[in-house]
Amino acid sequence: MTKEETNVSNKTIDSIMLSKMFLAGAKNLDSKKEWINELNVFPVPDGDTGTNMTMTIMSAAKEVATLTSDDMETLCKSISSGSLRGARGNSGVILSQLLRGFTKVIKETNELDVKIIADACEKAVETAYKAVMKPKEGTILTVAKGVSTKARELADAGEEDISKFLEEVIDYGNKTLEKTPEMLPVLKQAGVVDSGGQGLMVVLQGAYDLYLGKDVDITVMESTVTPGVSKVDSYKESIDSEDIKFGYCTEFIIMLDKAFNIKQELDFKAYLESIGDSIVVVADDEIVKVHVHTNDPGMAIQKALMYGSLSNMKIDNMRLEHRENLVRHNEKGELEVKDDVEISAVYKQPEETPEPVMEHKDDAFIAISVGSGMDEIFKSLGVDYVISGGQTMNPSTEDIINAIEKLNADNIFVLPNNKNIILAANQARDLTSDKNIVVIPTKTIPQGISALIGYVPGSSAEENEKMMTESIECVKSGEVTYAVRDTMIDDKEIKSGDYMGIGDGKILSVGAKLENVVLDMIDNMVDDSTELISIYYGEDIDESKAQSLVKKVTKRHKGCEVELQYGGQPIYYYIVSAE
Amino acid sequence: MKKVAVMTDSNSGISQEDAAKLGITVIPMPFTIDNVDYYEGVNLTQEEFYKLLDAGGDVLTSQPSPDSIMDAWDNVLKTYDEIVYIPMSSGLSGSCQTAYMLASDYDGKVFVVDNQRISVTQRQSVIDALELAKRGKSGSEIHDILIEDKFSSSIYIMLDTLKYLKKGGRITPAAAALGELLKIKPVLQIQGEKLDAFAKARTLSSGKSIMFNAVRDDANKRFGGLDPNNIMIYVAYTAGTDVEAFEKEVKEEFPEFEITRSEPLSLSISCHIGRGAVGFACIKKLRYDEC
Repeated sequence: MTKEETNVSNKTIDSIMLSKMFLAGAKNLDSKKEWINELNVFPVPDGDTGTNMTMTIMSAAKEVATLTSDDMETLCKSISSGSLRGARGNSGVILSQLLRGFTKVIKETNELDVKIIADACEKAVETAYKAVMKPKEGTILTVAKGVSTKARELADAGEEDISKFLEEVIDYGNKTLEKTPEMLPVLKQAGVVDSGGQGLMVVLQGAYDLYLGKDVDITVMESTVTPGVSKVDSYKESIDSEDIKFGYCTEFIIMLDKAFNIKQELDFKAYLESIGDSIVVVADDEIVKVHVHTNDPGMAIQKALMYGSLSNMKIDNMRLEHRENLVRHNEKGELEVKDDVEISAVYKQPEETPEPVMEHKDDAFIAISVGSGMDEIFKSLGVDYVISGGQTMNPSTEDIINAIEKLNADNIFVLPNNKNIILAANQARDLTSDKNIVVIPTKTIPQGISALIGYVPGSSAEENEKMMTESIECVKSGEVTYAVRDTMIDDKEIKSGDYMGIGDGKILSVGAKLENVVLDMIDNMVDDSTELISIYYGEDIDESKAQSLVKKVTKRHKGCEVELQYGGQPIYYYIVSAE
Repeated sequence: MKKVAVMTDSNSGISQEDAAKLGITVIPMPFTIDNVDYYEGVNLTQEEFYKLLDAGGDVLTSQPSPDSIMDAWDNVLKTYDEIVYIPMSSGLSGSCQTAYMLASDYDGKVFVVDNQRISVTQRQSVIDALELAKRGKSGSEIHDILIEDKFSSSIYIMLDTLKYLKKGGRITPAAAALGELLKIKPVLQIQGEKLDAFAKARTLSSGKSIMFNAVRDDANKRFGGLDPNNIMIYVAYTAGTDVEAFEKEVKEEFPEFEITRSEPLSLSISCHIGRGAVGFACIKKLRYDEC
C-alpha cells in the first residue's frame, strides 16, 4: 500500500490508518522480540521482556484485527482492554498502561493531528507512571516521557506535518533510549540499553514505517489472530496454541560445518521456539534435521546458515488450507462475540481447573508457580489455584483474572512469586471489583512459601496482608541458572554458559561448575541467625545429585537444618532459601 | 461458713506431693499403653512414658473411672461440706462431662468447673479456688467466679512435629492439613474448646517471636494490658526441650515480669504433641478482693 492510497492528508491520521499502524507496530515488536529478550540485564535464560511485551500487544492486536466497525472509539476500546488484560511482565504492564492513557485521549476524536497526539502521549506517560509504585528512570517510562516531551515541544512549535513530527519524535525517543545506560548503572555495566524502552521504540518504528507506506506486512498479523483452528496442539501455554499462529511449515537439513554441541543445539531450539512452534531438531555429528512452523521461514534459514549449508528445503503455506475456516469466523463479526469465544477458548487451563463448584471460603490463595514439585508444595500449603508460569512465560493479567473468577471467596491473596509478575497481579486486582484481592509482592518462590506460612487463619485480610508481607522479610532466596551471554554485573565477569547464583536481585556466585556455584551462593546467603536451608531442585537435576549436594551443605553449615524438596522447575537448577 | 475443698486432675501439672502440700486432691489420669493401665504420677513417670511412646507404643488416654472420682469425692466429703472440682477442659477430654453427671447425685455439694483450662492455666484456677475458699466463698460462688474468668488465659505451644497430633485426632481439620510436604512447626493455641492451629513457622526463632507477639496481643487487647500487676507469664514445655534457654529468652522479652516455669506438660497433652514442644502462657490475674 502507498501513503497516497491510505492517507489523503498528511496532517491527520484516521482510525483505519491508526488501526493499521497499531498492527504494524505490534508486528514489528513480534519480529524483534528475541533480540529484545537478549537485552536483559541479568543474562538469564528466562529474560523475556520482548516476549512479554509482544504477548501484551498481541492480545490487543487480536481484538483490533477482528474489528468490523472502524470508528475510533471501538478501536481505542480494543487496544486498551486487549492490552490491559493481556499484559504480562512489568514492561508489558507498563506498555498496556501507556496504551490505555493514549487511547483515553484519542477516543474522543475522529482523526488525530499533531496536537492530539501530543496530548495523548502526555496522558499515556501520566497513566503509566501512576501504575508503578516506585517509578525508576532509565526504563521504558523514561523513554516514553522523552517521546511525550518531544511531541509536546513540536506541537507547541506549530508542527503540523505528521510524517515530520513522527520522525522527530521517534528520533528523540531513540536518543533517550541510548541515554538509559547513563541513568541506570546496571544497564551500563551490562552494556545494554533498557529492554522495555527498546520494545516501545520498536512498536513506534513499526507504526511509523507503515505510515510512510513502507512495505510492511500486516496480513500475517491478521491471520495470526484469527481464532481459527483450535485445540490442534496440546500446549500448556494457552494463548498461542489455540490459534493457527505460524503459517509456514518449514523443513530442511543442515549439513554441519562442525558437530553441534549441546549448548548450540539448545540455543538453536530456543531460537526456533522464539519464531515458531511444532519444533523438531534431530542432530547427529554431520547433519541436523529441522522442522518448524513459523511465520518467517527466512529467519529459521538464516539462523541455520550459521551452522552450515542447507539441503532438502521445503516450505508449505499451511494457512491456505485453513482459509475457509478463517473466513467463516471472520464473518461472525461482532467484537463481543469474538471476545467471549476467545477467552473461553484461549484461556482454559484444563489440568489446573479446580473442582467445578467450590465451596465458599473467607480466604483463598492463588500462587504463580513453576514446576510440578513446586505446584504440589503450594497446594500442600493451602493454595487453591496454582497458575503455572511455564518455561519462560509470565502469566498475563488475564490469566490471573481468570483464576480469581474461579475462586469463590471473599478475600483472595495473590502470590506472584516473581518480580516480573507483581505488576500484572496488581493490574488484575485493579480490574476486579466483586472480591477483595490482596497482592502480596513476593518476588521469589521462597518468598511465596514464607508468605503462605505467615498466613494466620481467622485474622482479618488486613492483618494477614501485614503478617504475610512481614514474613517475606524473614527469608533469603537464591536461584541458580546459566548465563546466556557474556556480561559484567555486580563487578563479576560472567561468560555465556557459566552457572550463576542469583540472590534477591544480586549475583552471588559465578562459575563453570554447578555444584561450586550452588555452594558459594549458599555460603553467601547463610549467616549466624540462619536455622533452615531449603533446597528445591529443578527438573534437570537428578535426585542423587541433589542429595549429595545436601550432604555437602550440611557439612559446611553445621548449625543449620537442611531440607531437600523436588521443585521440578525448568531453567533454574536449584532454588534455595535460607531463614 | 462452709468448708470448701478443691480437687483437680493430674493434667493441672500438680504432682501428688504438691497436692499434699496444698491440701488438695489430684486425681491421676489413667493411660493404657500396650494394654497395660497406668496412672499419671502414680506409676507412670514422664521418662517411662516417653520411652513407651518412642518405642511406638499404642498410647490410649482415658478418663478417670467414675468409681475413682466418686471414691475421692466421698472421701473428701467426710471432712468438707462442698467440693470444687476442676477437671481438664471439656474440649480435650470427656472426663468433665462424666464428672458433671456424677455430681448430680451429690445434692449440690460438688461443683464441677468447666472453665476449659489445662496445664498451667488449670493449675492457676486451682490456686485461685483455694484462695477464694480461704476468703470464705462458697463452692457455688467459686464456680461462678472461675467460669466468668474462663477466657482470661491463653496458651501457645510450638510443636516439633505434627505426628502425634494427627494420630490422636485432637486438632481441628484446618490444623491437621498443615505441613504435608515441607517441614513446618505449627504454633498451636489452646483456648477454650480445642487445640487449634494458630500460626506456622519454619524455624524455632520465628515460632518464638510469633508466640511472643501473640501473648502481647492477648494481654493488651483481651486481658486489659500487659502489666506485671495484671498478667502472669508461664513457660511450658514437653520433655526434650532446652527449657532453660527458652526461659532466658522469655525473660529478655518480658523483663518486668516474673516468669514461672511449669512442670513439663502433663502426659495427656504430651501424648498429642510429642517431645520438643515449647509453650508459653499468659493468665490474667484474678483480683480476689474484687470477686
